[in-house]
Amino acid sequence: MSNNKFYTPDGFTDQLPEVCAFKREAENKLRNVFIGNGYREIETPGVEYCDIYTSTDLVNAESLYKFCDQKGRLLCARYDGTVPAVRFATNLLKDEPLPLRLFYVENMYRFNQTGGGKQNGFTQGGVEFMGAEGSEADGEVISIAIESALAIGIKDLQISIGQVRFFEGLACQLGLSEEDRILIKNAIQQKDSVMIENTARKAGLDARDTETLMMLIECQGGYEVIEQFRARVTDPEALKALDGLKDILDIMDEYGYLKYITVDLGLIGVENYYTGIIFKGYTYEVGFPIIGGGRYDNVAELFGRKMEAVGFSMSLTLAITALMRQGLELKKEQASVIVGYDRAVKGARAKAIALAKALREEYTSVILDSSGMSEEELDQYSDLNNIPATFYVNEGEES
Amino acid sequence: MITIALSKGRLAEQALDILEKAGYDVSAGREKSRKLILEDEKAGLRFIMAKPADVPTYVEYGAADLGVVGKDTLLEEGRDLYEVIDLGYGKCRMCVCGPAELKDKLDTIPNKRVVTKYPNITRHYFEDIKKESVEIIKLHGSVELGPLIGLSEVIVDIVESGRTLYENGLDVLETVADISARVVVNRVSMQMKADEIKPMIAKIREQLAKQEV
Repeated sequence: MSNNKFYTPDGFTDQLPEVCAFKREAENKLRNVFIGNGYREIETPGVEYCDIYTSTDLVNAESLYKFCDQKGRLLCARYDGTVPAVRFATNLLKDEPLPLRLFYVENMYRFNQTGGGKQNGFTQGGVEFMGAEGSEADGEVISIAIESALAIGIKDLQISIGQVRFFEGLACQLGLSEEDRILIKNAIQQKDSVMIENTARKAGLDARDTETLMMLIECQGGYEVIEQFRARVTDPEALKALDGLKDILDIMDEYGYLKYITVDLGLIGVENYYTGIIFKGYTYEVGFPIIGGGRYDNVAELFGRKMEAVGFSMSLTLAITALMRQGLELKKEQASVIVGYDRAVKGARAKAIALAKALREEYTSVILDSSGMSEEELDQYSDLNNIPATFYVNEGEES
Repeated sequence: MITIALSKGRLAEQALDILEKAGYDVSAGREKSRKLILEDEKAGLRFIMAKPADVPTYVEYGAADLGVVGKDTLLEEGRDLYEVIDLGYGKCRMCVCGPAELKDKLDTIPNKRVVTKYPNITRHYFEDIKKESVEIIKLHGSVELGPLIGLSEVIVDIVESGRTLYENGLDVLETVADISARVVVNRVSMQMKADEIKPMIAKIREQLAKQEV
């Protein structure tokens, strides 16, 4: 006997009709942006072998919703869009010429380790651009991320861009040990200045180098930030990372999107599969980023095809929460028109059917009342359900 | 408007002191009332008086932009936050404690039972750092009773002066972590409200540096 038959499982919610309607509209706006940029939609089954995530070390096994097939093999619910897309591209599309431009709008399922209340099932839309490298490709994906957010109505948008190779290069230049590198990396993610200072002192760094590390958590901005760091690094890898970021800013400027961009070299990312740029998108009223993306050049290789890639995903669920908290008014009306008829009058039904058909040519949603409401009941019903127009047919065919 | 979550009690008072010295008008936060939200529109500050263990949650979800909370709570809750300042007060240690005769012999007991109010910190310390599995028993107070009545071999708890321990014949066996009050910031607020939050962090740091001298 189950006590839970009335409820949705922890971390999952039903969507009310008006929210659902808005969400579908938003999904279609996303699709239009993606298709408009020449990306093709793929559909993956939503159930995968756990191996695509775990044997590749891309995702912790604990974060996956797991179950078995009839042969006892371990399956999981789709955790993200990227890994199934890579599996797809390296198998089904292996003979297609590169670059590949793919997108998805699907539900993801994961155990969120960060705590209760956060959604375990949510919808993401995202693109994967495979087989292209360099800042221009990065710029393409970032511009699509910005267009996606704008398309669904997010106005206050900020995109922070970092480059994981910059820190690797800097660590090399400073001669940090593996252990110190990890400590400082964690400290940068936490913006924990005390930890950085302590570790730098232990590693015997001088004041200027310690300051450079501190700048990673304190300096965010535009071109000036890149130049500030350029004056302090000599490692070729780190310098190349800075050049790449500068190129991206130039590209964003040409798109007219520079105002949304902040350079944040302290953005390193917990996901260890990023190999180049990494970016996150923020807006007001939700405490979590709504957009995440970056370059992951080594993932496809795990699936047997060497292929650089860059992509992003947007959480539609979070974005819609943000929009609602920012004051979005959802359409409450059930339909645009309702048509009723008097059952007692011969031929009224035929007229009503014809009328409803004609109205549907013009309006998206027309109810033909088949529950037998009287004219009065029909008026009441349309008032309660915010239906703007009511027709009642009480005349039959002309005799 | 910056929303600040404070841990009710002494930690909140000390946090308000530092903010005041850093040049902020915190009179709203000092209001003696039972209100849980204290707002001062002119000063651009809103204070939430919360249970300490809840402060990281408010900040992680962005219900508060910034919070002041003990490192013990941060370690136990394991939230995804920026931990920007060590305020230096509320200093104490998270320790493994037990009968004094166990000193330097802790590792000789297999399958230890540990009584604690901090199961996550305890699990992390024994499993990830010491690489051993232990049985964790969670209690809500007076964890010193654990070894005294044979519920467990040792406890993991906060030690300030150590008086409760000594009076009950227990001693510190190992230190798990150093604890003090920290300022934490929501990851989105740090980006979206940088104009207000960054100067606040800078002013608090300045004030702390002055106090050290």
